[in-house]
Amino acid sequence: MSQTTIKTKLSRRQYFFIIVQTEIGVGILSLPYDLHSAAKQDGWISLLIGGVLLQIVLLVIWLIAKRYPDKDFFQIQEAVFSKWIGKGVSLLYVAYFSMVAMVILLLFVRLISLWVLPQTPFWILALLMILVCLYLASGGLNTMARFYTFVSIFLVVLVAFVLYALKDTQLTFLFPILNSGWMPVIKGANEAVLSFFGFIISLVIYSKVEGSPAQRLRTIFYAHWFVVLFYLFTVLVSFTFFSPVEMSFIQEPLLYMLKSFEFVIVARLDLFFLSIWIVNVATTLTTYVYMTGLGLMDVFNTKKTAPSYMIAALLILIPPLFIGYNMERVDEFNNFVVWLGYIFSVAFLFIIYFVSLIRGSLQKGGSS
Amino acid sequence: MGFLRNLLGTRDKIEDSSHKGQDQQPNQPSSKKLSENVEYLLNEFKRTDDLKIRAMNNGQAVLMYFEPLVDQEKIQQNIFTPLEMGHVEHISEIPNARSSENLEEMIPTLLRGHAVYMEDGSKTITRFNVTSVFNRNVEEPQNEKIVRGSHDGFIENLMINLNLVRKKIEHRDLVVKYFKVGKKTNTNIAIVYMDGIADPEIVKKMEERIKAISVDMIQSPGYIEEFIEDNPYSPFPQMLNTERPDRVTANIMEGRIALMAEGSPTTLIAPSTFFMFYQASDDYNARWYTGTFVRLVRLASFIIAIGMPAFYIAVISFHYEVLPDELLLPVKSSINEIAYPPILEALIMVVIIELIRESGIRLPSPVGQTIGIVGGLVIGDAVVRAGLVSNLMVIVVALTAIASFVVPSNELSTTLRLMTFPLIFLAGTFGFVGIVFGFLFLTIHLTRLESFGVPYFAPVAPLSISDLKDTFVRLPLFMMKKRPKDAHPLQEKAMGESREWVQHEPDNNKN
Repeated sequence: MSQTTIKTKLSRRQYFFIIVQTEIGVGILSLPYDLHSAAKQDGWISLLIGGVLLQIVLLVIWLIAKRYPDKDFFQIQEAVFSKWIGKGVSLLYVAYFSMVAMVILLLFVRLISLWVLPQTPFWILALLMILVCLYLASGGLNTMARFYTFVSIFLVVLVAFVLYALKDTQLTFLFPILNSGWMPVIKGANEAVLSFFGFIISLVIYSKVEGSPAQRLRTIFYAHWFVVLFYLFTVLVSFTFFSPVEMSFIQEPLLYMLKSFEFVIVARLDLFFLSIWIVNVATTLTTYVYMTGLGLMDVFNTKKTAPSYMIAALLILIPPLFIGYNMERVDEFNNFVVWLGYIFSVAFLFIIYFVSLIRGSLQKGGSS
Repeated sequence: MGFLRNLLGTRDKIEDSSHKGQDQQPNQPSSKKLSENVEYLLNEFKRTDDLKIRAMNNGQAVLMYFEPLVDQEKIQQNIFTPLEMGHVEHISEIPNARSSENLEEMIPTLLRGHAVYMEDGSKTITRFNVTSVFNRNVEEPQNEKIVRGSHDGFIENLMINLNLVRKKIEHRDLVVKYFKVGKKTNTNIAIVYMDGIADPEIVKKMEERIKAISVDMIQSPGYIEEFIEDNPYSPFPQMLNTERPDRVTANIMEGRIALMAEGSPTTLIAPSTFFMFYQASDDYNARWYTGTFVRLVRLASFIIAIGMPAFYIAVISFHYEVLPDELLLPVKSSINEIAYPPILEALIMVVIIELIRESGIRLPSPVGQTIGIVGGLVIGDAVVRAGLVSNLMVIVVALTAIASFVVPSNELSTTLRLMTFPLIFLAGTFGFVGIVFGFLFLTIHLTRLESFGVPYFAPVAPLSISDLKDTFVRLPLFMMKKRPKDAHPLQEKAMGESREWVQHEPDNNKN
């Protein structure tokens, strides 16, 4: 028995961390604000509702993936929709993934410019970021998995930072619960779903993970609920640290919260928090570079990994250069991509599942 | 002696087959005429002056050997004494003699320091092993000293080095394989591993890569390393260099492969991981609390060595707000009157330290002390008074230099000092953001690196929790029941229950 043959399958632990690191990204800094502006102090309930709703989508993802145990996401498209329509759908997904990546890049550079480097031109930071992601993605999925697992230790540090803020929280800020009824809470769930959009990675790489379907489903759920709890924690801390009135002004509550502390050794924890947050953004963006590159490879039937990722990176880097720090256009673009997200990350998955069901039953009927 | 001869025998075989592959059948049958034989050998050796021809039996026979390579004592003892004492009738009956009829075969034999005996009227050529050997003692290597534990070290002789390893692992599974590398230098190299523990795939990979080397000269394992490592463009060493037999044997027992070369005390170990460079033999000889503490200090030194100047530069040129109020004033007053920007200050200091280090290495020790005084007192003090570099920067750079020397491996230490430069530049241009990007590139690079198909950054990425007990910490030895997974050992179990006597012994605490 040879043990050195390169392990092509990911372990379930790596699968867990890939999902977690992909979902936790740019959104975490503004999530409390977004939730608060939609549902006031009940935003955390919206988050839970969003988490539960997504459970259904994840189940559909699993049902699709289970039917094609050895195909990746883009190969599934071709199996479900026949070759050429499948390729068309794959291309749409490539476009969608690259657009999400653009939004991430835009928001990331904007925040860095706001908080740390106000005079640095957009393209330098964007280029640095995309280079890091390209370097990581071209190392292959195994390298990514190893790296994601390793940097997850920083999540602990982030939690520790936020934990320190607990001493100044006031639970009364959460009351009254459901003051304005369920409607705002449901609307807030919309905001919550956004922050989980990375979950589609669990479908894309499902076939590359070892373990029985049931075990993998459990991993997907664990990862999902880990992220839900992580978000819930940050949201609850920011909601109880700032009063509802303050919350409506503060776009990045976590950073402002940490900014107010001063230790004997260091002041301004927010800068350290931000530094670690860059790592999380990098992992998220890398996943999208990877998915875009993988899609390109599958659509154009090529095995050349390095040029594919290079093209994917260029595709992601160039359009944002024309938007830059222009806030209105960033927001416009962001809203557009969110809308696309509902189509591609939720609605279309149901379509894929039903088409594959119908085709499956047709084939069965034909053969019997 | 028999053991040595066996080894030499196998070496002959391998070498002969490789010769066949290289220049098709170097077979030159010997002639019955002595003069023709002698003439042939003389021509092949370009009539070099140190090839000694000693006529015997009134010119009827001849004994040839390279004078600098042989031991005159041995010639007397092995050849002439038996003849004179009348133990043997003919010279070819002497034990230790081997005969052949191939003149070409005599060429490498002579070069190895053997003597060749030829007779007129006979095709048979007889040869004797009379090689002289000069060795220094197996003393402790200068660059890897330890406090406790074995104090022997490898030397420049391959056989003695193998002897040291075999003495430490007395087991039938210890396998040594010989290779000849370097078309002109014909350097002997050997790989050593435990059959049944080392992964045969990695052994095969190693053999293939060694056989692929096609150069005229091999000087040291450093040469070989660059030919066989996975990623020659990486700044990180991917094979562990050591001169310590105990370190080599411990690694062989973990399922790794050692590569030794004639003429160099340095042994390469593959596959290696990043954290192996931070393990020292001392860790295992000390109490495990101490071992753990020292190892943590060492790993912290890694962060200090590459990140400290960058962090300082980022703070004083971008993020003053990170400093608490009490510290702000001293820092500010220290750098206020410096003419240069912090990044230039740091570069000046780092370059000065490198200069001092490099000039000190090769100087005889009395002069070396002068360099220490000039470097430490004159430059360190004067540079601050002259207002070129701030006090704090001197502290930071000095700390960095010290931290970089903490690594037990010289190769990694130099790499670390090289790594500070890109980080200094990134910190000087982007502050904390630059440092984070720098570290991201570094970590991704480490994660991508592989040493003989084995992940270099194991057991951290890919994570292997059970192997962490000998990485950041050094837990008690009886807890390390399994070999580390990164070397792909075939046999995971390294020890059984070794402390079950605890349950049998009466509890002494009760009375």
